[in-house]
Amino acid sequence: MKENGMGFGKRLSRIWSQYSYIFVLLIIMIAYAYTVRINGNDFKFSHIAAILGSQNTCIVGTIALGMAYVIITGQIDLSVGSSLVLCTGVTIVVYNMTDSVLLMVLAALAAGALCGLINGLLVGLGKMPPFVVTLGTMLIYRSLTLSVVRKIDPAISGSASSQFALNSKLDHYKFLRMQFGTGKLKFGGFSIPYIFFVFLIVAIILIIVSKKTKYGKSVYAVGSNEKSARLAGINVTWIKISVFILTGLMVGVGSILQACKIGNVTPASSGQSYEMYAIAAVVLAGISMAGGKGEILGVIFGALSYTTINFIIVSIPGLSVDIQDTFQGLVLIIVILIQTAGPSIKESIRRAKKRRQSSHTAD
Amino acid sequence: MAILEMNHVSKAFGGARALHDIHLSVEEGEIHALLGENGAGKSTLMNILTGVIPADEGTITFLGKEYPSPTIKQMEEAGIAFVHQELNVINDLSVADNIFLCREIRNGLGLIRQKEQLLRTRQLFEDLGVEIDPTAMVSELKTSEKQLLEICRALYEDAKLLILDEPTTSLSNSEIEHLFGILRKLRDQGKSFIFISHKMPEIFAISDRYTVLRNGEFVHSGNIKDITPQAVTSYMVGAQYVDEELYRPRELGDPIVVLDRYSGEGFSDISLTVRRGEIVAFTGLAGCGASELMQTMFGALPATGGNFSVNGKQLHGSIVQFMKNSVAMLPSNRKENSVVPDMSILENFYLAEHELSKARKPFIRTKEELARYNAQKEALHIKARDPSDSISSLSGGNQQKVFLARWLNINSDLLLFDNPTQGVDVGAKEEIYKLILEFAAEGKTVIINTLEIPEIQKVADRCVVFYEGKIVKIFEHKDVTEHNVMLYSTNAIETAGEEMIS
Repeated sequence: MKENGMGFGKRLSRIWSQYSYIFVLLIIMIAYAYTVRINGNDFKFSHIAAILGSQNTCIVGTIALGMAYVIITGQIDLSVGSSLVLCTGVTIVVYNMTDSVLLMVLAALAAGALCGLINGLLVGLGKMPPFVVTLGTMLIYRSLTLSVVRKIDPAISGSASSQFALNSKLDHYKFLRMQFGTGKLKFGGFSIPYIFFVFLIVAIILIIVSKKTKYGKSVYAVGSNEKSARLAGINVTWIKISVFILTGLMVGVGSILQACKIGNVTPASSGQSYEMYAIAAVVLAGISMAGGKGEILGVIFGALSYTTINFIIVSIPGLSVDIQDTFQGLVLIIVILIQTAGPSIKESIRRAKKRRQSSHTAD
Repeated sequence: MAILEMNHVSKAFGGARALHDIHLSVEEGEIHALLGENGAGKSTLMNILTGVIPADEGTITFLGKEYPSPTIKQMEEAGIAFVHQELNVINDLSVADNIFLCREIRNGLGLIRQKEQLLRTRQLFEDLGVEIDPTAMVSELKTSEKQLLEICRALYEDAKLLILDEPTTSLSNSEIEHLFGILRKLRDQGKSFIFISHKMPEIFAISDRYTVLRNGEFVHSGNIKDITPQAVTSYMVGAQYVDEELYRPRELGDPIVVLDRYSGEGFSDISLTVRRGEIVAFTGLAGCGASELMQTMFGALPATGGNFSVNGKQLHGSIVQFMKNSVAMLPSNRKENSVVPDMSILENFYLAEHELSKARKPFIRTKEELARYNAQKEALHIKARDPSDSISSLSGGNQQKVFLARWLNINSDLLLFDNPTQGVDVGAKEEIYKLILEFAAEGKTVIINTLEIPEIQKVADRCVVFYEGKIVKIFEHKDVTEHNVMLYSTNAIETAGEEMIS
C-alpha cells in the first residue's frame, strides 16, 4: 500500500517536472477565470479566444520560439524587440511600394534573417558574449529605424507621424488587415483569430525540428556540453550562428503579424521590452537558462501563460497601470522559484531522510 | 633531526585498501622525493599529512609534536604547506595581494595597507632571491613565477615543510633550473620539502633522500646518492605481473597512417607509420605531448607543420573533415569531453554519426537508430536498460562503451583512443582491452594513448614513448616492460647514460 503511494507520488513529481508548463498554464487560467467571476462576468470561450489572438501570444510567442533555440544553446538575444521594429518597418515599406503580399513576406523574412545573421556572426565568429553583442544591436536596430522614419517620404512610410503604417488605399490592404490580421476562423460557436494559427504552425515546425532532426539534436548538444559536442564533430560555431538566424526569421514572421494585426509600427515605442517578454515566455516554458534542456512545445504554453498573466493584471479593478509590471515581475519570479528551488528543496528533504535512516542503522 | 615522522599509517576507502603500514620520515633541511606510480598512494598519504582525510591507523609527529587526528587548519598552523600541481593563485590580483590573500594587513578602518604589503613582499622576495615585481598582475607571470609565488606565499606563512606536487610539469628546462636554485637555497636555510615527481633526471638533480611506495605499501627508502635511476624504477614497478594474456600476434596489412614530421601544440617533428590492423600505444608522462598529438590527428587542435595522412589522403581542417576521412577519436576525460549530460543514451550514441549523414538525411529515423544502437550494444556488451534513459544513469565503464559505440557507428578505419580506461573499473577495463583487440582483428587500426604500462602490454603491437613532445623510443610488443618504458618516459636514460641499460 505504502509502496504504491510512493510510486504514484514519484510518477506525479516526474510528470510535474516534465510538463510543469502545462500545470503553470492551468493554474494561471483558473486564476484568470476566478478574476473574471469576481468582476461579475461569466468566463466564456471568448475570453480564451482573446488570449489566443493577443499580440502577446502570437507576436511575442513567435519570437519566443526562436529565443528558445538561442537559450537552449546557452546564449541570449536581447535585440529581438528592436529588430521587430526594424523588420516591421521594412515589411510595411516594401508592401506600400509594391502592393505585393509575396514580396512583403519575403522582405520581412530577409530583414529578420539579416538582423539575426549580424548577431550570429558577431557572437560566433567574433567570439563575443551574446549578452553584450545583442545589447549593442538592440540599440542599433531601433535607432536606425527611428532615423529612417523621420526622413522617409510619408507616401512610402504610410504615415506622417513618425510611424510606418500599411497604406489603406492599396489593393491587398483589406485582405491583410481585415481578413487575415484581425480576422477569425469560425466553427460552431467558437472563433479563433487567424494569426494564432500562424503561431501554432510555426511552433509545430520548430517542435519537429527540435525533436526529429539531426540539426535539432545538435542544438541541444551544444547547450548541454559544448566541448563534447565539438569533439563529436558538431560545428559549434555554425550552430550558434544558426540559432540567431532562426530567431531573426521568427522576428520576420512576427513583423508580418505586427503589420497585419496592428497595421503600423512606431519605432519610438513599439516592441519595447519584447525581448524580456520573450525570455519570460521561454522561462515559463520550463526551458533552462543554462542551456541544453527544455521543450519547444513548452513555449506555446509559456506564451499563453504570459498573456494570461497580463489579462489577469489588467482585469483586477482599481489596479493602476503603473504597478502592473510589478505584478508581472512577481509572478515570473514565483514561477521560476518553484521550478528551480523545487528540485533542490526536494533533494534536501531526501538527504535529511537518508541521514535519519543511516543514523538509525548505526544505532 | 627528523622534522616529520609518519609511522604505520594505514587507510582504506570502503573495502579498498589505499595505504598499508606506510613509513615516511623527512629530515630538517632536506629535499625528500616521494616516488611511486599513479595510484601508488602518494596523494592519499599527502592528504592524510595535511589533514584533508583522516588516517585509520598510524601516528604523525611533526616538530616533536604528535597529531592524532590533524585538521587542515592545525597542520597549516604547524607549518606544513601543500603547493598543488594546479596552481592556486588568483590571476586577477597583484603579486603582493596574492601573498597577503586572506591575511591582509589592515588599518583602523579595515582597509588594506597596500604600501606595507608591498614593502613586506619586496623584503620576502629579496630574502629568497626571487625576482618578481610585487606590483605585477599574476596573470602576467610565467608559470614558473606563479609556482614560485605559491612557494613564497607558503614561506611567508612560516611553513617549515613544503609539499611540492609535480611542480615542474609545465616548466621549461631553464625555469626548472631557476626553481631548483631557489629550492636548494631554502634547503640550506633549513626548510624541508617533500618533492613529488615522475621525472628521473629531476629527482636525481634535486633530492637528498627518497621513499618509494607501490600499491599503497612502503617499498624502500634511502639516500639518492646510493641508488641509480634503474633501481628506483624497479622499486616503483615491482615484480611484473600480467594477469591474463589477451594479446595474439596478428597479420598486419598495408601502412595506412603516415605521420611525416608532424608538429603542433606540445609536440614536434613526429614521423611514424602505422599499418592496417595494427594497435599502437602512445605513452609518456603527463604533458609529454602524446595526447596533444592525438587531438591534432583528429582536427581538435591545429597542426603547425608536417603532414598526416590516412589511406593516402592528407588530412586537415575541421573535426568533421577528419571524420569523413575515416578517423574517429574517443577523447580523454569522459565527463568533460564525451558526455552530453542532458541527453539520453541513444542521443549520446548517435550524435557523431549525424554529422556525417545529416546533409543526406536531415531527419532522425528512430527505428534505424535503435537498430544500430542495439547492434553495438550487443557487440560491446553495454549494460543498459532503456536507451531513452539518461546517460548519467550508467556506470563509468558502460558510459565509456556507449562512446566507443558512438565512434564505431561512423565505421572509420583509424580509431584514436585517448586514455580509454580512465575512471573505468577493473572488469570493464579488461572488456575494453578485449574489444580493442577485436577491432584490430577486424582490420581497424587503433592508436591508444595511455599512462598505464600493463595496458600497453595487454594490447599493443608497438609502444611509442614520448618525452617532451618528441618520440624517444619505439618498442616492439615483446620488449614492452614497465621497467623499459619507465626508463624512457622519465628520461632516466639520459641521466644514467646509454651503457647502463645495455
